[in-house]
Amino acid sequence: MQRFVPAILLLFLCAPLAADDLPLVDPPPGKVLLVAQPHHDDHTTDYGLAGLVLRFVDDGYKAYYVRGSNDEKDGRHGYPRNDMINLKETYDAVRILGMEDHVINLNWRNNYETPYALNELREQLIFLVRKYKPDAVVGHNAWEHFQKNPGHRNLGWMYEEAYWLAGYRNVHPEHFEMGVEPHETYHHFGKARLDWGLGHRPNVIMEMTEDQIKIKEKAIHAHQNVYANPGGARATKANLAAEGLYLPDLENIDDDTTAGNMMIEWHMNWISRRWGKEANVKYGEDYYYMGEFYHLPGLDNFLAENVEAK
Amino acid sequence: MTRRIFAALALALVCSVAPLPAQIGETNNTVMVITSDASNYVLHAGGTVAKMIDDGMDGILIRIGNDEKDSWDLPPEETALRAKQESEAAAKILGINKVVSLGFRSSEFRDVPFTTMRDKLAYYIRVHKPRVLFIPNAHTQYDRNHDRYYGGRAAEDAWRAAAFKNYLPAMKDVNLSAHLTPEVYYFAPPVDPARRELESTETFVPQPKMLDISGTLDKKIKAAQALKTINHSLAMRLKQRLESTDRKLELLEQMDEASINKLIEERVRGLAQLSAKDTDLQAVEEFRYAGVEFRIPAAYR
Repeated sequence: MQRFVPAILLLFLCAPLAADDLPLVDPPPGKVLLVAQPHHDDHTTDYGLAGLVLRFVDDGYKAYYVRGSNDEKDGRHGYPRNDMINLKETYDAVRILGMEDHVINLNWRNNYETPYALNELREQLIFLVRKYKPDAVVGHNAWEHFQKNPGHRNLGWMYEEAYWLAGYRNVHPEHFEMGVEPHETYHHFGKARLDWGLGHRPNVIMEMTEDQIKIKEKAIHAHQNVYANPGGARATKANLAAEGLYLPDLENIDDDTTAGNMMIEWHMNWISRRWGKEANVKYGEDYYYMGEFYHLPGLDNFLAENVEAK
Repeated sequence: MTRRIFAALALALVCSVAPLPAQIGETNNTVMVITSDASNYVLHAGGTVAKMIDDGMDGILIRIGNDEKDSWDLPPEETALRAKQESEAAAKILGINKVVSLGFRSSEFRDVPFTTMRDKLAYYIRVHKPRVLFIPNAHTQYDRNHDRYYGGRAAEDAWRAAAFKNYLPAMKDVNLSAHLTPEVYYFAPPVDPARRELESTETFVPQPKMLDISGTLDKKIKAAQALKTINHSLAMRLKQRLESTDRKLELLEQMDEASINKLIEERVRGLAQLSAKDTDLQAVEEFRYAGVEFRIPAAYR
């Protein structure tokens, strides 16, 4: 945590620099992390969130997962069973990550996200921010370009407003009848893929340890309904064989499901090393971070010079 | 010769995607500002608007939102009323002599039909026939206040729609003819990491433009300070945040009008310095600008 404040100051200085100058950040001081994504597996993909979640949990945070959609399209078992299996696997994964054993399931219909009543989705997120009072939130970076999945685009877009609007008493005052109070969150981490264009502009790296990488691998494994890919493994082996090549690590594995999972791990491992390299550490995840006074450009120097401990 | 052929082809391409706009006819020496919320245009365009008015233009402000959410402890109705009165006071300081408040509920723009908002804005553009428009930049990124996106999108299309006679045809019956505003400034908080990057040439994309506001900075500060309800809300939130994390800002320990005004002055000066970065100037506002170069190839200007 000691590294957090100087890292954020460094962030402003580094803004115009290239990606290879990205600063490391630690979790800010706090107790609650609220992770909101559209799908069952978004807390642990090869690209992200699990490393950040593990860092927060290791620092003593309670971390909650909000699953925006019912995930009925993801899997091979038909809508209802996909929903049930994916929810069960969400619980499996969040337990591995040390998150709270309570998945907040909004159940919007999967892949019908474009015609959602977006302000209604935003209201649900505002209510959850008021109820759980997160010190930090993490979601999808809504400014990513070429995002084909409207679930990511729309939930990320709504969460980006919800986390601060929740602090305003004139926003959904009816919530206060239910015993919650206004609560504004001051740390927002947005995740997206840089290889989908120039919209996602990561400005921080969250470092991961070797142990955290291993836990992230286990959490990825939990999503067998969508990640187990024996066909992919078989195809890779066949393609290699056609070229007279083979991968020794895959040769002695009979279970193609395991082989498929290994390839996901390799990819996750690769992208984690790739982002770690940007900050001169072994493993990392990249985020667009909106910090404590992000909404007050122009005041950051004044506040840095004049805010003092009580 | 090749350049002229290319220019003619480019013009034909531009014309093929939209009906021909009205010819620039009667244009008043007016700067029209369209803003989604009370503070956005003051903080990010106020100095430039004040300078244009100082130089002889008339100013008109169109407020899309009612700013009902942004107070510390007032109900929405009282907040909206004060925001209206304080917006009028701020506009007056900048030299703007007319303020129109459309009254859309702030932070709810997403639910307003796009054309409802656009057509109201297009109406005012046709009525006042401005030479210069200031609109929220809907193309900026990483501004977490989405009213600015929706308001900016409607304003940009209103600029375009107001120029074509087949939009809002009923207005012809009261002699409100099409009007093409020749110059448009897109304003936004300077948070977009890509805000100074060129995306294409000036013929196709509004270009980054940095303007010196040192001559009107004091006026801009006073205008920003006039938004008392919003400023009180900002100061209280800042103080609450600092107290909840065992910190303090000496300036806000005794919170009164003077201390809040000082905070706002620091904010406006800080913004001017931030936008002046990498320039030789001391106080700057930064825009995307569409002038005569936009959509007219160089050979035809």
